[in-house]
Amino acid sequence: MNMSTRARASTVVVAFTAALFPALAANGTAELQATEEYRRPDPFGGIVAADHGDLSSFWRALSIEGARGAYVSFHLVAKVPTPGPYALTLRFEGDAGNLQLDLFREWFHFTDSDKQYYPDALIPVALPYRSHLPEPDNRIAQQTAQAFWVDLWIPPDARPGAYRARAVLEAGGTSSVLPIELQVLPAIVPDEDVMLMDHNSYGTSWIADDYPNVSRKLGEAFFQSDEFFRLIHAYHRIFYENHGIFHQLGYGHAGKVGPEFAPALEGSGRRRHIANWNLYDRHYGPLFDGSAFAQSRRGSRPIPFVYLPVNPEWPASFINWGEPGYEAEFANVLSEMERHFREKGWTRTHFELFFNHKKRYMGFPWDGDEVRFPRDNKYFLEYGRLLKKALPADTPVQFVFRADVSWDMEHQFKELGGVVNMWIAARDVLSWLPGMPQKLRDRGDVIWYYSGPPVVTEPASTITQFALQGWIWSAGGFVHWLTVDPGKDPWFHFNGGGTALVYPGERFGIEGPIASVRLKIQRNAVQELTLLASFQKRIPVAELKSEAARLYNHTSLAEWYNPRPALADQPTYDWSGTALDEATKPAMSHLEKIDPAGWSRVREYILRLAAEEK
Amino acid sequence: MKIFLLSLVLLVPLAGAERDMARELDEVARIATVMVDGDVCQRIVTPRALDYMFKQDPHDPWAAGDNYEVNDEAFIAIKKTLERLSRLAPFPCDVNLWMPIAGHPDKIRVVIRNVHELSQFWPWGALYQDMIPQMKQVLGTGRRVTVTEKPGWVSVLAPVYNSLGDTVALVEAVSQKRLDSHENVK
Repeated sequence: MNMSTRARASTVVVAFTAALFPALAANGTAELQATEEYRRPDPFGGIVAADHGDLSSFWRALSIEGARGAYVSFHLVAKVPTPGPYALTLRFEGDAGNLQLDLFREWFHFTDSDKQYYPDALIPVALPYRSHLPEPDNRIAQQTAQAFWVDLWIPPDARPGAYRARAVLEAGGTSSVLPIELQVLPAIVPDEDVMLMDHNSYGTSWIADDYPNVSRKLGEAFFQSDEFFRLIHAYHRIFYENHGIFHQLGYGHAGKVGPEFAPALEGSGRRRHIANWNLYDRHYGPLFDGSAFAQSRRGSRPIPFVYLPVNPEWPASFINWGEPGYEAEFANVLSEMERHFREKGWTRTHFELFFNHKKRYMGFPWDGDEVRFPRDNKYFLEYGRLLKKALPADTPVQFVFRADVSWDMEHQFKELGGVVNMWIAARDVLSWLPGMPQKLRDRGDVIWYYSGPPVVTEPASTITQFALQGWIWSAGGFVHWLTVDPGKDPWFHFNGGGTALVYPGERFGIEGPIASVRLKIQRNAVQELTLLASFQKRIPVAELKSEAARLYNHTSLAEWYNPRPALADQPTYDWSGTALDEATKPAMSHLEKIDPAGWSRVREYILRLAAEEK
Repeated sequence: MKIFLLSLVLLVPLAGAERDMARELDEVARIATVMVDGDVCQRIVTPRALDYMFKQDPHDPWAAGDNYEVNDEAFIAIKKTLERLSRLAPFPCDVNLWMPIAGHPDKIRVVIRNVHELSQFWPWGALYQDMIPQMKQVLGTGRRVTVTEKPGWVSVLAPVYNSLGDTVALVEAVSQKRLDSHENVK
């Protein structure tokens, strides 16, 4: 939600009104209020401590604006001091054109680490919404407020101009009205995100655990069922709809491949070949042709990236490593895959040759992931040779060789140039290599960086830093290393969500994932950043970045980098984790505590520029 | 009565299959004792990695894993032997290499795992762990031991000798009655 100058003025007015009558709700009168997305409500009528809110954070009227091809969001808060039933309605008034709205009830997670409640999981609800406070399923005895996340979707072809909506809370025989004014700007957020936000995961056994009703019902047939593949596609859809992508790694550290991640093989040596594509095609076909996204507001399109199942044990058996048989098995199967993809027309997805294994897990004698010992790089060169041998030089299928790099990245960028062409770099080491992402992109490589989701106990705005940092660094994407593991009991004993940005919906009768507040905030930041980047047609990109950094956390662009430390000239296998942490402290210190209003200021700047667009 | 007879018919072959599995794995393990070269096994993990394995640094909890390294020639030679041994069985099985740790008699570590990612003893991710009593027995007596503690699992442990005749390692020939095709795909 943007606070343009005009909107900020009206916010000041409503905030002042709220401040004058803070006792109304406490006296037993139900009241409907709103907060901006970075001020998360708690279940008792306040703002969670991490987001530094107070009574002035609550508004009784909203005046907001947004660009087309984007969402505008805020929290609605139903404050019902007396236990009992309530009803909430939300609808446009007058001609809403093709605008749409979505309402989600916010689940309050009890977080074990600090014994507080945080809203994060978003349960889609139909309007009008009727329930009781305290919400029966959330089981918070003293609950007096229920928060809802509102998404207003502004299609790219929406009519610019003013729209009005109205939210009404009815409880205890009274009603409370919250008027909403939405100004739709002519500017359109471009289709292609300026930062590709990737959400990673491993295998599929967690799907059976997260959806016990369907997996128990189907038993051993679950992993080959239509329900199983529908669930996988639902995860891709939720991330895509929220301006991200989804990766699932399909093999283990010693080379075991999940059957749905690879075609079935037969034979050995020169007779090794693909025997069956059935599970693979059911899994990936709708993702590679885009049909899995047919109902999306963003339109259907093929997933841009996918892991191949290739590892040192697949498709060639490691028993033949270094022998002609290994090369034959590898080349036979990879060339069959290339042919299959080409014949199917799956040419818009990048197929990643990627090694995830680490020697500490005792499967193989070299690190595929995060090389620390430079001698391991010779294996990458060998696989580069094998891949080249397997593929026709003029193939339209986009194979890429991906490496996730940390300690040795500076050396690897040079030694493996022309072999590896997709890099997922650790944030710490990349921070002292300014200019490197652009250099890599200039030579045609893909460069993203990685970290993980912030926990809910951090300020809500924390998650916006990844897209902004990546854009400032000229990286093309960012990877959250794990995003589908909310822990054993995310509902009542939450671990904070450092490995989750979605939740299983089965508890709420939804056979698929549900989004989180953090994912939505990230989505909004990405779409706004994409709009900002589009202004470089008329404003130098350095100026855009510089102003965004200043507004975000009062930094200069130089402060987003670290000086190259002395340890960078030492052998990487001698670096200690402690020294690495020390070396990256200066830049990281600016990102440790993000001001809840940080992204609001950036958004205000973006929408001001958008308003200037012809 | 009918159900009882039906159960008997179903259970007898199952028990027989389990016996067959144990017998096959025992044969794999017996051959492994002859085929796996203990001197090469001793060269797999570097002294530096072993040194880091027990260092404690509260500021760097991953130091042991980050500094884990192996001599790849020795690793590959033994891994290939283990993979060949696993092919002796008519069902999917792994032959894992385990080694004791000098100076830490109460600890044991897995050194090589294989493609089915099976082990009855390895807690996922551990660089080393408390000594398994049956492994201690094998290392002490040189006799093979069959372990069926986890329901549905069969492991046969067998000693590995070096050229001096010392027991320097052991193999775990392991399989599962019902393989889980998704476990450990992570």
